[in-house]
Amino acid sequence: MLPLPFEYTRLPTIDEALAAVGEDGEGMFYSGGTELLLAMKMRVIHTERLVDIKGIAGLDGIMLNDADEIEIGARCTHNRIAGDALIQEHVPALSALCADVANIRVRSVGTIGGNLCFGEPHADPPTMLAVLDARLVLQGLGGIRSVPADEFIQGELETVRAPNELLTTIVFPRPSGSVTYRRFKHGERPSVNVAMAWSLAERNTIIASARIRVGALSFRPQALTAVEDALRGRSIVEARCAVAEALPAALDALDVNADRHGGADYKRHLAGVLLQRNLDDALGGGRS
Amino acid sequence: MSKTIDNMSSVRPDLIEKVTGRAEYITDLTVPGMLHGFVVRSPAVHARIVSIDTSAALASDGVVDVLTGADVAQFGLWGLVLKDRPIIAIDRVRHVGEPIAVVIADTVEIAENAAELVDVEYEELPRATTIREAMADGAPLIHAHHENLQDFYFKGGARPTQGSNVFHTYRNEVGDVDAAEATAAYIHEDHFTFPGISHFALEPHTVIADFKGDSLTIWAGAQTPTAVQKVLSRLFGLQLARIRVIVPFVGGGFGGKASVKIEPLVAAASWKVQRPVRIAQSQVESMLTCRRLGADITIRTAVDAKGRIVAKSAKLLLDGGAYSDTGSAVATKSANRIMGPYVMPNLRLEAQAVYTNTIPGAAFRSIGGPQAVWAKESHMDNVAAAIGMDPSEFRLINLASRGQRTRPDLRALDMDMSELMGRVSQSFGTEANASNRKSRGLAVAATDPANTPISNAIVRLKIDGSILVSTSAIEVGQGSHATMGRIAAQTLKQPASAVTVLRTDTAVAPYDWGTGASRSTIVVGLSVEKAALDAADQILEMVADVWELPKESLSLVEGGVSIGAEVLTFHEIFHRTLGVDSGEVIGRGAITPRSKKGALVESPLFWETSAGLAEIIVDEDTGEIHIPHYASAADVGRVINRVAAEGQDEGAAVMGFGHALYEQLEFEDGQPVNANPIDYFIPRISDVPPAFDTILIENGDGPGPGGAKGMGEGAILPVAPAIANALFSAYGIRITDLPMTPEKVWRALQKRN
Repeated sequence: MLPLPFEYTRLPTIDEALAAVGEDGEGMFYSGGTELLLAMKMRVIHTERLVDIKGIAGLDGIMLNDADEIEIGARCTHNRIAGDALIQEHVPALSALCADVANIRVRSVGTIGGNLCFGEPHADPPTMLAVLDARLVLQGLGGIRSVPADEFIQGELETVRAPNELLTTIVFPRPSGSVTYRRFKHGERPSVNVAMAWSLAERNTIIASARIRVGALSFRPQALTAVEDALRGRSIVEARCAVAEALPAALDALDVNADRHGGADYKRHLAGVLLQRNLDDALGGGRS
Repeated sequence: MSKTIDNMSSVRPDLIEKVTGRAEYITDLTVPGMLHGFVVRSPAVHARIVSIDTSAALASDGVVDVLTGADVAQFGLWGLVLKDRPIIAIDRVRHVGEPIAVVIADTVEIAENAAELVDVEYEELPRATTIREAMADGAPLIHAHHENLQDFYFKGGARPTQGSNVFHTYRNEVGDVDAAEATAAYIHEDHFTFPGISHFALEPHTVIADFKGDSLTIWAGAQTPTAVQKVLSRLFGLQLARIRVIVPFVGGGFGGKASVKIEPLVAAASWKVQRPVRIAQSQVESMLTCRRLGADITIRTAVDAKGRIVAKSAKLLLDGGAYSDTGSAVATKSANRIMGPYVMPNLRLEAQAVYTNTIPGAAFRSIGGPQAVWAKESHMDNVAAAIGMDPSEFRLINLASRGQRTRPDLRALDMDMSELMGRVSQSFGTEANASNRKSRGLAVAATDPANTPISNAIVRLKIDGSILVSTSAIEVGQGSHATMGRIAAQTLKQPASAVTVLRTDTAVAPYDWGTGASRSTIVVGLSVEKAALDAADQILEMVADVWELPKESLSLVEGGVSIGAEVLTFHEIFHRTLGVDSGEVIGRGAITPRSKKGALVESPLFWETSAGLAEIIVDEDTGEIHIPHYASAADVGRVINRVAAEGQDEGAAVMGFGHALYEQLEFEDGQPVNANPIDYFIPRISDVPPAFDTILIENGDGPGPGGAKGMGEGAILPVAPAIANALFSAYGIRITDLPMTPEKVWRALQKRN
């Protein structure tokens, strides 16, 4: 299957790319194309103009900024992030996640920004970025705004990004404690995934704060607030106990779609299994 | 350290072409003046076509014409066993994806864009989308009439039930099942289902047709080119000799390119415009074109007090989809293949193929085999458990031995299944006993390939000693051309590098039944061997005649003929015999049911056998099955090309893992849900068990060249039941429908607890 005819342009600056996409958004940004081109070939998406952003300098960097935050350029491919020394040092779980997204072809050309902007519910990075409390920086003709990763996805295949806004950077505080990620795959995509991050206090004996996100069950990652609350202030030796107590009610509170990836009760159960495996990883000090 | 191939002549020539990208598939070909067709397909499950408006498509720049049912109604219906299929939907569509129009244009882009402009109005008809719905009282009739084509493709025909959706019934009864059951110590009955499965060949169906007056040339990835020729000849009223079918490299078939598929459609498009037309389907379109038949199976076994089988009965219902294709043969074979290599003094088999408003069923690697063996071998372990016997022991005491018949109308077993069972167990032998986390399951199969003994080959020996082999066996990745080359080289005592095997072209290659049913190495191989012997005889005859030597004193050697003291080169022989330095001898080899003093008549020609032993670990929290170790054994008589033979066996087993764990074409009220490569999962190399033993047993006792038997369809059979039996033995759960997804396993574990 072939896409309907479209115009293609590759521009060297963000401003020119924004202008080319146009006020009314008749154009679309294009980088890896692993989702977009497929959808165009299937004719479920059509654009008059494909604006290639691969010529724009500065969108594929990874750095630690002065505020002790990690910045990832939206055009970084999954492979680029997986192999980056800074990410491997500070967020090895993100490196491992990116090394295992979809398949080798997707990882070679697909970008983290494209993955987020597509708004696919069954995706790996959104859950992890939400747990890392990331901000997504969007640049439009009117200026720059940043959106918390938790709020970025608004529905299935829908995000808060306006068609003429470009996602330029993903920023999150350098994690101070363990970050873990587990998923259950159905084909190439996660049917359920769970990410967990916590920071420790009192010489690494007390959980100062914890963030847990469960992804792929509905249109966007959801917080397991009750478990987060149960962990906060507890000693790490009590962590399993705290999770076990809070988990059943927290799982029941999740919004779960039954779909081809599994029945709601099964996926809810898997979320619990994956959370406990995250906990094992965090306590075992394995993949931090 | 890198491994180097020190002898490139041992590498299949087609593989060199493939890895260097030189191999040509149909989409690499261009015929001068060629147009492109794009197929408009039915979105409706079952509907009457009220109107088709092609005017907007026809008005598009670059569109040459649009083919619809009105154009082809005059040609009538076609089929392989039942004539039930129009070239393109005429007044009615019977499944989603059925071709309803072909837009023919200068480029495929223009054709695809214009296809969106074809406006079709449908009036929904009552539908029957499952076996149950199709067999219910008052079910809508999917086909009103059936014309049986006796002995047209397979020997025999179909037995449709008029006024119903049942298009074939096969029954076979031995002894008295009721009487045996009446006195049996124990009777056990099970019910299993099996889903429709996609062939998922990496190369979708692609055909170029060039209709010129009263001749037609077809380039197709057809597994049975002579069947394509025959169907097109009948359909369009053309002489067989005026229809040429050319088969370049084929990117996988697995039965999905056997019999006839989109060739009549593309031929009709070319007929309409009288120019060459190419239709290159996408993977999605090919997934809507054909699939393996789903099945609903009831199986019952009665045993005596010692655990010996006294009676066995099975009823198999096969979901044949919207058109019969070869579904009747699939049903018949499923009944034969549910028997297994056991002694069953009393036997009652019934198989029916049923039309449904879904993607048409078709042949698929061991027709009816995976469905039947899934049920039969799962059932064997259930019976063993019910009578408190070890499942291997239960099989061993019931195995038919070499030379024994499992049914009076079938050839006696030509192998020893206990040998296969022993070999797969031995391959696990050096390991410590399975831990409590690991469990093992076994399954075996003995199937009867329909390897029609009809084939012809031509082997031409040139003056420089080079050899040209021509057959209608196609090269679909299995290595048959390299095998034919090797048989010719060995028979003529020439190096393999001297042999060229021609790509299949019916204008050059003689008649053969087709590539399928594990028959090429045996049947086509025998015809090549015979043709090579004929060529050898002719060249020796020349020498005997011209040099005036007794023929018995002559022998073929590399490069020529030894006359004792010296070697005459082929050059010298032709030059002196013909007077000029030119010429060739043409050896002809024909295999018929009368060959080998009638030894090839009895069915099957050989038993295709396999044993599979799976070791599994289940993640009980998620239901996921891991298979750290799998062993597959097959009795292949003799290996001709080891790498190719092992590759075939391993490929079949891996396909079996797909059937067992991942694959199912899903329908919701007849609408395909996952008929696309994104939502349909096939196994990848990372899904192959890390320890995989391939055991090929060679006793040189097959009917083929050097004692070879056919292979390639056996190893797919035991995989699913072996895994299911491992689940049953260690976890106490019995899965009765495939695939064994993690969710299904988890639910079964929950239910058990």
